[in-house]
Amino acid sequence: MTVFEQLAAWFAAKILVPYWAWRQPTKPLPGGPRYSVQPGDNVQRMMNLIMPLKDKSAIGRAMAAQAIAANKDEIYAGLDNVGTVHFARFVIVDDNICMFSVYDGDFTNYIRDFIATIGSVFDAVVGLVEGGDGVIPSEQNVEKFIDWVHAHDAYQVPDTVTDILRDQEAMNGDTSGINDLQALPRNIVLQLHANPNVSLGSGYRAYPGYSVAQVREKFGIGW
Amino acid sequence: MDDLSLAKQLVDAVISDFPDHKAGTRPIHTIGVGVEGYFEASDIAKNYCIAEHFQGQRVPVQVRFSNGSGSPRQHDGWSDVRGMATRFHLKEGCTDLIAMTLAEFFVRTVEEFLDFTRSARQQPMAKVSWWQELIAKLQLKLPPRNPYPGETTSGDAGVTDYGNKHRFAQLSIVQAGTIGAPVSYARASYHAVHTFIITGPDGTRRPVRFAWKPVAGVRTTKPEDPLVDDYLKKELEVRLAEWPARFLLMMMIGEPGDALDDPTQPWPARRVRVVMGTLTLTDVAKDQEAASEKIGFNPWHLVPGIEASDDPILLARRDAYQESQRRRGATACPFHRS
Repeated sequence: MTVFEQLAAWFAAKILVPYWAWRQPTKPLPGGPRYSVQPGDNVQRMMNLIMPLKDKSAIGRAMAAQAIAANKDEIYAGLDNVGTVHFARFVIVDDNICMFSVYDGDFTNYIRDFIATIGSVFDAVVGLVEGGDGVIPSEQNVEKFIDWVHAHDAYQVPDTVTDILRDQEAMNGDTSGINDLQALPRNIVLQLHANPNVSLGSGYRAYPGYSVAQVREKFGIGW
Repeated sequence: MDDLSLAKQLVDAVISDFPDHKAGTRPIHTIGVGVEGYFEASDIAKNYCIAEHFQGQRVPVQVRFSNGSGSPRQHDGWSDVRGMATRFHLKEGCTDLIAMTLAEFFVRTVEEFLDFTRSARQQPMAKVSWWQELIAKLQLKLPPRNPYPGETTSGDAGVTDYGNKHRFAQLSIVQAGTIGAPVSYARASYHAVHTFIITGPDGTRRPVRFAWKPVAGVRTTKPEDPLVDDYLKKELEVRLAEWPARFLLMMMIGEPGDALDDPTQPWPARRVRVVMGTLTLTDVAKDQEAASEKIGFNPWHLVPGIEASDDPILLARRDAYQESQRRRGATACPFHRS
């Protein structure tokens, strides 16, 4: 980066974006998959939990890693019993402990199942996260815990670029039917200002439309 | 208005967007190249569709790749939608699959199409000044597009204005505006856009959308590269002389609630996708007059097992293509009975 480019980037980040965020207030969009009654939309859904650790040091990260490692049996047994999870993994990114998973069915029921099967693991992890103390033990704070998880699930940017406008219009109740397409970049910038952590699109699927149960049945490996 | 006069109106509307249109040529996708090859259905294609070309035998095909513009002047390097029209030669007749690099269409009805073409008329275009670019950047907006060398008019401004007022058209307008130029006709994805209804061997009817996916992968030229007006035909000749080019035919199966008659609406990527077969392109046709200029495709060249949906744009294309072919003296599928 040249000095001029660095200056331009600083100006954009420190002046332009805050100015436009003030001129054109943009609300954060909710995380998780969109509501849909269509079968193909209700399998292989994504959860991208991004949870900031209280202790933002290598020790804090090590404690999070330890919480996962110490509960590996509980996690795997729990996931087998939930039965609707395609993939799940924990990842540490900077000072965040993240849980990324692909699951079938309703989000609320997914978390409810988790609380029932591996609530103790969730409690161990969430206890290390900013704001987590207020929702544990999860078994005694089920609804509060579900809301908390949903609030940490990243906004899923639509697969098609202009649908971010539709999400913003739905959030703002805008039915005018008028847009300024030249300002699409600004709408995207301001949304990413409001939602710093996002999933880009709904993700690729090699076998879209099939549930865990269907895949396992086809392979003859049952539950 | 009867079908014929509507078809004439549609063709005239398209031609009006290209003032340098040359009589006797296609109103859009004017510049193209004819290619030969064959299609082989996948093992499971026949489980979904009884159409002859999905039964597994090798089927000869003709393909015409094209640039989207209706101008007779060739600008391969300009950002533009590209076309891929495929004719499957079957034992009895033929069937066509017409696709383009844009996954969705601009409008939903014939009336909207006529309105859209009026908006897309050419307007004078000037170089964007440094202060216009600066103002756009300060507003976090896209600056207006700079004209290509020699480009003095464009339909961009009217199209953008149409998109500002019609949300259904925004996706295709934004995508068309950023689509770029492929490094090769064999390195682009092509979408048949409309919904068709297929019938399986057990009588099950399914709404589907088709798309060609290049085995060589998708790649566009870099905007900073020097513009080249004439390279896509030569590139295909060189490519096919060395090795065939292949495309997978992917079929997406719609669900209740998906847009069956609205080509502006994408289906979610979460729908079931089936690999229906592989297209292998072997040669650039020697007789380009026949394989590219005179050949007349039509999305309604269908065979038992595939039906058109109720999409009004798909319906309008049937007669508009016939009218266009009549004007330029094209040859339709000689064996087709409809």
